[in-house]
Amino acid sequence: MTRIDQDDPAVVIIGSGAGGGTLAHELTRRGVPVVLLEAGAHIGTEEFVNDEWDAFGQLAWLDPRTSSGSWRIARDFPHLPAWVVKSVGGSTTHWAGSTPRILEHELQARSTYGDVPGAQLLDWPLTLAELAPYYDRAEIALGSSHRHGRPALPANNNYTVFATGAARVGYNFYATGPTATNAAPYDGRPGTTQGGFNFEGDQTHATWSTLVREIPRAEATGNLDLRPNSQAVQITHDRHGRADGVLYLDVHDHVHRQRTRVVAVAGNAIETPRLLLLSASAQFPDGLANSSGQLGRHYMRHTTGAVFARFERPVHFYRGETMAGVIADEARHDPERGFVGGYYLQTLALGPAFLAAFADPGAWGRDFTRLLDGYDHTAGLWIVGEDMPRAGNRVTLNQSVTDTHGLPVANVHVDEHPNDDAMRRHAYQQAELLYDAVGALSVHRTPPFPSMHNLGTARMSVRPADGVTNSYGRTHDVPNLFVSDGSVFTTSTSASPTLTIVALAMRQADYILDLFARGQL
Amino acid sequence: MTFSAQPDLPRRYLESDRARDLMVRLIRLVFPHDVLPDSAYERTADSLLLLSTQSNRMMLAVSRGLDSLDDLDTLEHLDRLDHQNTLTHQNTLNARSERAGDFLALPADAATRALHRIEHTDFFTFVLGNAVLTLYNLPEVWQALGYEGASVAKGGYLTRGFDDLDWLPEVRVEEYQGDLSRVSVGPLAHPVGPGAVKTEPAGAADAAGRTDSEVSADDEVTL
Repeated sequence: MTRIDQDDPAVVIIGSGAGGGTLAHELTRRGVPVVLLEAGAHIGTEEFVNDEWDAFGQLAWLDPRTSSGSWRIARDFPHLPAWVVKSVGGSTTHWAGSTPRILEHELQARSTYGDVPGAQLLDWPLTLAELAPYYDRAEIALGSSHRHGRPALPANNNYTVFATGAARVGYNFYATGPTATNAAPYDGRPGTTQGGFNFEGDQTHATWSTLVREIPRAEATGNLDLRPNSQAVQITHDRHGRADGVLYLDVHDHVHRQRTRVVAVAGNAIETPRLLLLSASAQFPDGLANSSGQLGRHYMRHTTGAVFARFERPVHFYRGETMAGVIADEARHDPERGFVGGYYLQTLALGPAFLAAFADPGAWGRDFTRLLDGYDHTAGLWIVGEDMPRAGNRVTLNQSVTDTHGLPVANVHVDEHPNDDAMRRHAYQQAELLYDAVGALSVHRTPPFPSMHNLGTARMSVRPADGVTNSYGRTHDVPNLFVSDGSVFTTSTSASPTLTIVALAMRQADYILDLFARGQL
Repeated sequence: MTFSAQPDLPRRYLESDRARDLMVRLIRLVFPHDVLPDSAYERTADSLLLLSTQSNRMMLAVSRGLDSLDDLDTLEHLDRLDHQNTLTHQNTLNARSERAGDFLALPADAATRALHRIEHTDFFTFVLGNAVLTLYNLPEVWQALGYEGASVAKGGYLTRGFDDLDWLPEVRVEEYQGDLSRVSVGPLAHPVGPGAVKTEPAGAADAAGRTDSEVSADDEVTL
């Protein structure tokens, strides 16, 4: 294994998920040595378990966090605002695989939607044309079904109910993908065995993750120094305001310092601003790269919810891929529906353990247990739609609660925008129509789970006053400090974010290599 | 006798048969299923009783909570007198002193109603929050509900029924290839809703008998 001396000014990437893992692979394969710091352990896919709570305990980021605001999560799961992963591979180890591209008009959210009161919308400093070649590369890396010659997944039972309902209510743009799960062997990874358990880590490698693709390939270049169990806690800078070191803790709480040439932060949209806030200094009293005051603000999840429907006849929706199909007809901007932006519907299946925990937190009695009694006759879907960016929805340091290292935890504050509520109601209603069209005996609306998609807390902007980074994820304030995860999303859009995070990381890698070549970094 | 003289009193109570019987009954009322074996409720109760002894806060809350469940029987009794307009100060006192309540003797509907009195207590939220995690994670519960558990060692469901649903026609898995263009801004070119497309005229949309507007009026979002 490659070792980079701690006194060597290195390219240091913090976080090994979709953004960090991809950036590490892109740089190392082109000859740049990289130190990759990962807070979690290096868990092999053979260690994953087909058990919801055991896998949750093994993979989830369970370090304490707090939450506040009007969102129901603050009541149902106050210490678990987000459901993300702490291990090598980050949240790509437990994702379901949906890979839609962002739509052209979504990148121009402010121009398209106009001024939405109570929201701080902004256009992305990027066009779809600029992103398109990177989307192609990302889809090829992930092996997106229905793209670049990759075949469609077959229909599982949950999808059959879903697609039948979609057709009956008049939707057209439904399919079993695109999704980053192989229908057939591709890129050294096998076809799916339809085993389910997407959120528990895929032992078969049929679903893409940086754990099974980018990180081993980066290691094979001989340029990667992967350091698991290394929690970055501060980025230091020199008197010229350039990042010159990263302090991190090992499992024994010992402090290490790695000298840096370039730092890229990819800790997901809660840990990324937390780390930069923890890095406040005399030059950056409000947190590193936060002269705009925008760091940590505009936290977005995606407007979500789930719907479960019970049928006369069996479905066995847990068999096969969780993300077995998607409907795109509602992913459009159509204010006639009473809200701006749009949403996708995609299939969702949970085991009894997760279904009981998340279907209606706090509920009990016959009304609740009826839902579980119909378990094997149940179909399910998940709503994922555009969430409004609000300056007051933000990640801050909670000065009165500390983690096991003694550091202030992140507080996640969300007051739902009326647009989110209107969109969710519409989506619930459409989902009910869909399932009614297949003869559902009953339909149950489930509130949002702890957020799996976390976005926007270091957003890209043209003007330095409006955000934290430029279109390449380079911070406006610190020239050798980059952000490489979903924190940079200017708006949430309706697309599941992983494909875009990967495409942006690939684009960022080209940019960094170009700056190196010009001697400008 | 006081707790200071008997520091292990709450713990001893939690280890008693009475406490276990009450806990089993309580979990059965909170998560009532006709299909689950008794062992599922008993194992969950044992797990929760053990968990409650792990902190003083929960040991005190759970022992007090269980031991006072019998009072719910008395309170329900008083409510019945009240409904019959026979509740007086004297028979309130009588009921409180003479009627040794027995939660286990309360019928399920009365016991469930009575539990709403305490559903915001630390005790009840402890039981609710931990029972939901424990009960539905038991293999015998999975089996009773029709869930097959771990699949990877069995080769997933590729040859074990991932696509065995036989009561609906085959569906398209490819993306739409027809003449319509996907709309990204503005309304769809055609209406979406029950009966919008008549490919399956036996459509169960009619079975539900609801129109778009009725659905939104009937079903408030529970957020």
